[in-house]
Amino acid sequence: MARTVSISIAVVCAAFLGVPAAQAPQAPTFEVDPFWPKPLGNHWLFGSITGVAVDARNHLWVVHRGAASLNARTEIGLAASPATAETCCLPAPYVLQFDSVGKVVSHWGGPGLGYDWPQSPGGLTVDAKGNVWIAAAGADPAPGGRGRGAPSTGLGSGTETAPPTDAHVLKFASDGRFLLQIGKPGKVEGSDGTSGLHRPTAVDLDAAAGEVYVADGIVNRRVVVFDAESGAYKRHWGAYGSKPDDADIGPYDPAAPAAKQFRVPSCVKLSKDGLVYVCDRRNDRIQVFRKDGTFVKEAFIAKATRGEGSAWSVAFSADPQQRFLYVADGSNQKIWIVDRQTLATVSSVGAGGRGPGQFYGVGSVAVDGSGNLYTGETYEGKRLQKFSFKGMGRPSPPVSKEPR
Amino acid sequence: MTTVPTRRTLVIGAAFAAAIGLLAVAERLLVREASAQPTVQAPRFAVDPFWPKPLPNGWVLGMTIGVGVDSNDHVWIVHRADTVGAVEGAADQIPPTATCCRKAPPVLEFDPAGNLVGHWGGAGEGYEWPLSNHGIFVDLKDNVWIGGNDAKDAHILKFTKQGKFLMQFGHQGKTGGSNDTTTFGRVAKIYVDPKANEAYIADGYGNKRVVVIDADTGKFKRFWGAYGAKPDDTNLGPYDPAAPPAKQFRTPVHCADLSNDGLVYVCDRPNDRIQVFKADGTFVKEAIIAPKTLGDGSTWDVAFSKDPQQKYLYVADGKNEKVYVLDRQSMEVLTSFGDGGRQPGQFFAVHSIATDSKGNIYTTETYEGRRLQKFVFRGVGPVPRDQGTVWAR
Repeated sequence: MARTVSISIAVVCAAFLGVPAAQAPQAPTFEVDPFWPKPLGNHWLFGSITGVAVDARNHLWVVHRGAASLNARTEIGLAASPATAETCCLPAPYVLQFDSVGKVVSHWGGPGLGYDWPQSPGGLTVDAKGNVWIAAAGADPAPGGRGRGAPSTGLGSGTETAPPTDAHVLKFASDGRFLLQIGKPGKVEGSDGTSGLHRPTAVDLDAAAGEVYVADGIVNRRVVVFDAESGAYKRHWGAYGSKPDDADIGPYDPAAPAAKQFRVPSCVKLSKDGLVYVCDRRNDRIQVFRKDGTFVKEAFIAKATRGEGSAWSVAFSADPQQRFLYVADGSNQKIWIVDRQTLATVSSVGAGGRGPGQFYGVGSVAVDGSGNLYTGETYEGKRLQKFSFKGMGRPSPPVSKEPR
Repeated sequence: MTTVPTRRTLVIGAAFAAAIGLLAVAERLLVREASAQPTVQAPRFAVDPFWPKPLPNGWVLGMTIGVGVDSNDHVWIVHRADTVGAVEGAADQIPPTATCCRKAPPVLEFDPAGNLVGHWGGAGEGYEWPLSNHGIFVDLKDNVWIGGNDAKDAHILKFTKQGKFLMQFGHQGKTGGSNDTTTFGRVAKIYVDPKANEAYIADGYGNKRVVVIDADTGKFKRFWGAYGAKPDDTNLGPYDPAAPPAKQFRTPVHCADLSNDGLVYVCDRPNDRIQVFKADGTFVKEAIIAPKTLGDGSTWDVAFSKDPQQKYLYVADGKNEKVYVLDRQSMEVLTSFGDGGRQPGQFFAVHSIATDSKGNIYTTETYEGRRLQKFVFRGVGPVPRDQGTVWAR
């Protein structure tokens, strides 16, 4: 049975009511490092960043949308033919690996033999063997076309023939060598399909079971699980663990009863204790499942958020219990800190803006072994930022004002 | 347990040692290369990543299209609030789609610590707010001047520091070309000479000239085109680096700033050059900067160093994403700092530049850069020719 866990306001209020220090609620605290990462070099620019992940060596991996999300006239004059600028700038390679001090240590990505590079990448994850998985999230059709993806990133002039819709997931070795592709661009299937996807947004791995979980996606409304080696279909489910239904449920209404279907499942993440966290982005919620798809609980995040919604992606805190869930919210420009047991929002990091520690379109989040937080911004944010973990302390007010 | 090295581990060990040796050699070479890199004596800067302080009220900036510093070292900016879109300006929507963000008022005043201490701007009684505001200047009488570069903007506005409307020169939609003596054509920037009480107008995106007006009455005093000649509005076509230097300015004429020794520095942006004139419009000299730059051009705005001689000229280049440091006498580019990117000290379309009394530099970015940044002056010293991103550590 579906059980909604309401967000406890009490935890939040206690911080402001002079509760003795010993009893005061504690939350992870962070401080932005304005000088991380180091300048990319080569006059490279990030496009809209869609995925970040930390590998076993505490290296940070990022994937971004490259030239298609950068302004050809004003931003990447060195890439024009003839070049319109003398010294700057160029799109960085799609996939970059940073060491812990923030230096680029490798880069690759783009079209190659034997696989279909995404029209536009989505989430990225690194598995226990160091392989890099990328969801092919696709781009919205040109203005006027059909589709319900993220706001335009400048892709598509509307004059050229539209490329086949992204409907696949890619697996590469850490050096960029192609290993596996699940699905095929253009070969879309609905939410009950067993061989096709439709603009998947994110992936995560269950190393022990050898399974890959896919959030599918911008068009489909489900989580689907495949064998991580063969790509063979295993199982799938929709919101509340039920059979997904692709019927149009219209735009999100904060006042309406909770939707029975996902509206853009935009992340999937497995905790160490075997739970599956799914971002139901445009429904402003996180749904939690067992690995077999049994619904466990859900939590709403900034429930009044409309448009792209509040729950874009998640990461777990670095403690063995993974006590906290960090939720990237590219609409309210925050990382929400959520108690993983109660699913209460206890604190937050960030605000809107283009200064260090501020966000525009913070859509991806990852945590390293020391508990430091990394964020990637899409839209015109186009930054990778690091927030150093500063231990447990007084929470920031998580909800100053809900939109009315 | 004691391990006896096997032949294999010895081989690996030897290879490792050799590799270390190679690394050491490589490192020495790198050090030599670094120390051999030519340096030059020039003002040094480091970005202050935490200046200004976060704006209140969830306010965000649109294209930030002008910066000026007043006599109290307060920093003034003007930005295009209406360029904040529905996604970023979610809290401004009806109903709001998220708790953040809202567009900040167009004119913002910061104290030296980076606190927002004043804000105003937008439509009001008795004047025509520009459809696309452009450039801000605070004169020594504490008047705030603003231009506008929309196709219909043909006027200049003057306010008090509190935002009280004082004067409007010219009218929206009424332009008469580069030889007209009562109208303007999409003004980019204003600079007021307190001694002569004259305002120098970079005019602009429509016209191709510098105009000097009486700062109180707005009466035209003189104007000139490139090389001090009569301006001509004939379309020159796009800039071609291989062609002889253009005899006319190409639009936009983007700045016209006066030095203490009475010279006027004009940004002829798409022509990639700064032209220098006497105050009466007599041509003195020019400097070509990054001449292969096409499109928007390389010379977006200028500011002077704060030593009494104004020994250095700072030129913002929003196409190559850097600030050039020129020797003002020789007009030689000594060094440059900055690079493309969204991190502190990097730029996307660095549009405007100003200096305070301590020699610190402030920049604003248009397009999707949309930031105000501060570069702290760290004295004159040896710097490489291309400094890249200037971080203190």
